[in-house]
Amino acid sequence: MSDHLYVGKSIPRTIEIDKVTGRAVYIDDFKRPGMLYGKILYSDYAHARIKSINIAKAEKLPGVRAVLTGRDVPDVRVGFLKDQSVLKKDVVRQFRDEVAAVAAISPDIAREAIDLIEVEYEELPAVFDPVEAMKEGAPLVHETDARGKPLRTNILPLPWRFQAGDIEQGRRESAFTVIDHVSTTWVNQCCMGPSGCIAEFDMNSNLTLYNQTNVIFGDKGRISEYFSQIGLKGKKIRIINPIVGGSFGTKLDTDIYEFICIQLALKTRRPVKILFDREEEFRALPPRQPARFTVEQGCDREGRLTFRKIEAILDNGAYTSWGATTPSVMMMPVSSLYRVPNIYYQATCVYTNNIYCQAMRGYGNPQASFAVETSMDTLAEKAGIDPAEFRMINRNQSGDLTPMRLKITSCGLEECITSVKEKIGWNDKKGKRNGRGVGIASLIHVAGGARVTLSDGHGIMVKVDEDGFVDVLESGTDQGQGSPTVISQIVAESLGVRPEDVSVIFGDTALCLWDAGTHASRHTFMAGNAAIMACEKAKKQILEMAAEYMPRMIKSDFKKMMKKDPEFVEPELDYSLISDPANLDIRDRKIFLKSDPSHPHFNMDINKVLRRGLHVGTGESRVIAAEAFYDPPTETLDRELKGNLSMTYAFGTTGVEVEVDRDTGEVKILQLVAAHDVGKAMNPTLLLGQVYGAVYTGVGYGLTEEMKLEKGKVMNPNFLDYKLLTAMDVIPIKPVIVEPGDEAGPYGAKGVGEPGLVPTAPAIANAIYDAIGVRIKDLPITPEKVLEAIKNSK
Amino acid sequence: MLNYDYIKPESIKDVFSLLKEYGAEATLIAGGTDVMVNIRNRKLSPGVLISLRGLMDLQYINKNKGYHIGGMTTHRMLEQSELVKNELSALHDGASRVGSVQIRNVATIGGNICNAAPSADTAGPLLVLDAVVVLEGPEGKRKIPVAEFFTGPSTTVRREDEVLVEFDIPEDNSRYGSAYWKHSRRKAMDLPILGVAVALNLAEDRTIVDARIGLSVVAPTPIRALRAEEYLKGKSFREDVLLEAGRIASSEASPRDSIRGKAWYRGDMIKVFVPRMAKLAAERRGVI
Ligand SMILES: Cc1cc2nc3c(=O)[nH]c(=O)nc-3n(C[C@H](O)[C@H](O)[C@H](O)COP(=O)(O)OP(=O)(O)OC[C@H]3O[C@@H](n4cnc5c(N)ncnc54)[C@H](O)[C@@H]3O)c2cc1C
Repeated sequence: MSDHLYVGKSIPRTIEIDKVTGRAVYIDDFKRPGMLYGKILYSDYAHARIKSINIAKAEKLPGVRAVLTGRDVPDVRVGFLKDQSVLKKDVVRQFRDEVAAVAAISPDIAREAIDLIEVEYEELPAVFDPVEAMKEGAPLVHETDARGKPLRTNILPLPWRFQAGDIEQGRRESAFTVIDHVSTTWVNQCCMGPSGCIAEFDMNSNLTLYNQTNVIFGDKGRISEYFSQIGLKGKKIRIINPIVGGSFGTKLDTDIYEFICIQLALKTRRPVKILFDREEEFRALPPRQPARFTVEQGCDREGRLTFRKIEAILDNGAYTSWGATTPSVMMMPVSSLYRVPNIYYQATCVYTNNIYCQAMRGYGNPQASFAVETSMDTLAEKAGIDPAEFRMINRNQSGDLTPMRLKITSCGLEECITSVKEKIGWNDKKGKRNGRGVGIASLIHVAGGARVTLSDGHGIMVKVDEDGFVDVLESGTDQGQGSPTVISQIVAESLGVRPEDVSVIFGDTALCLWDAGTHASRHTFMAGNAAIMACEKAKKQILEMAAEYMPRMIKSDFKKMMKKDPEFVEPELDYSLISDPANLDIRDRKIFLKSDPSHPHFNMDINKVLRRGLHVGTGESRVIAAEAFYDPPTETLDRELKGNLSMTYAFGTTGVEVEVDRDTGEVKILQLVAAHDVGKAMNPTLLLGQVYGAVYTGVGYGLTEEMKLEKGKVMNPNFLDYKLLTAMDVIPIKPVIVEPGDEAGPYGAKGVGEPGLVPTAPAIANAIYDAIGVRIKDLPITPEKVLEAIKNSK
Repeated sequence: MLNYDYIKPESIKDVFSLLKEYGAEATLIAGGTDVMVNIRNRKLSPGVLISLRGLMDLQYINKNKGYHIGGMTTHRMLEQSELVKNELSALHDGASRVGSVQIRNVATIGGNICNAAPSADTAGPLLVLDAVVVLEGPEGKRKIPVAEFFTGPSTTVRREDEVLVEFDIPEDNSRYGSAYWKHSRRKAMDLPILGVAVALNLAEDRTIVDARIGLSVVAPTPIRALRAEEYLKGKSFREDVLLEAGRIASSEASPRDSIRGKAWYRGDMIKVFVPRMAKLAAERRGVI
């Protein structure tokens, strides 16, 4: 393993120089000739009937090219449960409901036109609390389902119920049990680059969509389905990623603005761009959903977990996106974080008139892990066991088959817990109650793909030109994670060239093979494996070429030498050795004899062979190109919601030391240790970037970030009042990289995009408890909540 | 809608004549860090922006029978001034916590005070330093104590044809130690949940000769906690005395619930930070 030239090395990022010098073309900079600018009018109410919409003034404004309302576009339902339309015609159910849209020759004119649209509403009773919404007689958010059948409840028809073992049995075996009520709120993904797209039709009504999605083929599929309903069946769709300024879940589903942009482009027959401003990012994008948990757990006298019962209520908001599947990811920590034999889990998603929710980094894992890890601490205390020791007793181990049927292959959790304890100074610091305290929490997450759709595959194409340069057509999205660098390291390593020889082309449905999307921490794992497969094929082609031409080329070189220098004696060589591709290999741009790598004659620059093989002159010219599609042998969840949906799982532990100001309720993080089992660090610098970024997001989730909704309206749609942490708020983070190496991973790697976030908030909450004996079970842990809890505990 | 002209006159006389010419259409702009935000948020739609950035002679900090700070002085200049740091410490605390370095490089103290946000970070410090605002109009100059300058959120006694040219801070501040606490959730790019400024004149025997307390974000304008100040005068500098002063100051405030903070929390924080700032002020004065 140690003889890798590029894998495992902190090679500097390649294309980021363009980003930091302002040259990279984000959607904001992206222009097409004749392009118009689209803008959306949103609802003024959380729930209302639209009585009338008057667009006359807007249409008359010079520079306006189209004004659309729900009456101007086909009444087609879209979304995960097909519970909304593109432009709302009769009823609005949330403040972000799209009521009208405008395309104009400048963003300013579009905005002015939006202001000129007059909408008359009749307000309807609304419901903003999921528990209230479940009660009989609560206002119904939807009167009918997608097929027009009357609905009687706000509860979504998504039954997330999971059972393994026997809870009652578990209860009987318990010496200690605890029950906790835990809750989390809305948080925004806060991408640096705001959302947007450009839709452009050619004269045959084929669509090119320049879009920031990180699931290009999913996006294409949804738009294709939409096309078949609006009379564009059979028209071609091409999705192209511009440079994506972060996604963190926002670009997973096809958002309504994309459909609106398509409609505006169709109407005007011009390219149309919709670009969100920051307020829209907060008000009109789906954030992470709030969840409330009732967690019950038990353990025996030795501290072994006996059962875990979790009931969750999720505020879905007014419509349903992919976010409604977060309970399936919650199931992972619920069923499989630590060894628990008996599990009961039920999640209820409820419609309300709040803005609807989506996925965010970690999917439902941060919410559920906050519940599980809060309960782990209260149970440890009740059982009189040190919280870190308690986790050690129940740690997951290699070879485990969890109640959800996840197959735990490589597992570095033990090392993670041990190193966090040691680095944070656990034994000296815990249990002092002197205003300083330490806390710990762990995580499990998919790290080898996540089979949420029937194909969890990833395709890659590799072509090598006559100069030895490699183009990789990669179906994932580079959303800032640094994949171009890592993929070129993997390609260079497995093909035998250098990373700087490799160009990676991302995100184009016309150029790339199918991919399930750059989400679920799956990209390095999937693309890495696919790249290795493709490179093996390409390498084979090159070596066949070499076996054919190398002997001839070496001989003719000798001839040339003899011509120049009559004294030169041609060495006697066994050319059969290099006439068999199996005897050859490539490394660092050189083709060489495996049995004698330093052979003075039997080695050759790769580009010499490539050129010779291409410029043959006899009708036998060859190019080097290979493709591979990696679809791992994983399972989708069965009827019982069980199945091994990933090839491998990531583990990690976070330890936090805090200081709490008892007079102000302020929490200061003195240090944070984040230990992660990453399989193998492909590029340590990039890996740490993922860990740091995720940890900071986790600190925000734990302490400061919250979207404040008042009767369905976002009251803090800006960075002044939404407390995203700044560079000045950095905390000391000590990362610990645990590398057990994973058999299924490319060079042993596992996914690490999301994990850092997951255990951060619960570790902070646990540390606060250790510091002052007060436990906050509702995120974020604001100074007000801490102070209130201190007062109540007196 | 975003159509406005921009004029940058080179003298204060020209500013006056432009203000006269454009009347209500005109808005003065210094660093623009409030003005541009207000234009974007549509709270302001000026026909013409009259820049004060041609009046660079209004950028100064000096000591000459009292302290004089030009209206166009940036927060960054205040932050980097040793004089302000050592002798007007509360103002140094306030100015160095405004926004970020980028903001402080352009944002001015004159803009901060004329904008008259209840959360303005230099308001509390200027209050406890007993600063006087110097306004200049076509008819000449007039002086108004900062304590009388604000009339409500975003409103002041400044007339539309006047420019804030200077802050005068009395010389006797050299006998005071002062400190300002900005209570906020983040270390940068944040507005205070509340601000507490304290200036203390302490005798060697720890008797409080004089005390001034300024509170921001807890009333429609930044206020002085006069009863708490009165209570402190003549008392000995002791923990229980300071705590009582905090309680009195808190009762003088009228904080409200907002998305930035709850009223009860703000009230409680006054009780915490009046004593803490008093101690810091005393420490800086060198008495404790
Ligand atoms: C990102 C950001 C962060 C911020 N953080 C803070 C913070 O932490 N604390 C804080 O207190 N403020 C903060 N602010 C607000 C702002 O920066 C300050 O109020 C600043 O001092 C305003 O100064 P300016 O020169 O930019 O004023 P401008 O925006 O130019 O003007 C503000 C107002 O004052 C008037 N005006 C300006 N100068 C004069 C003058 N000499 N005479 C008469 N009228 C005048 C203008 O007409 C306008 O009404 C922040 C702003 C931003 C954008």
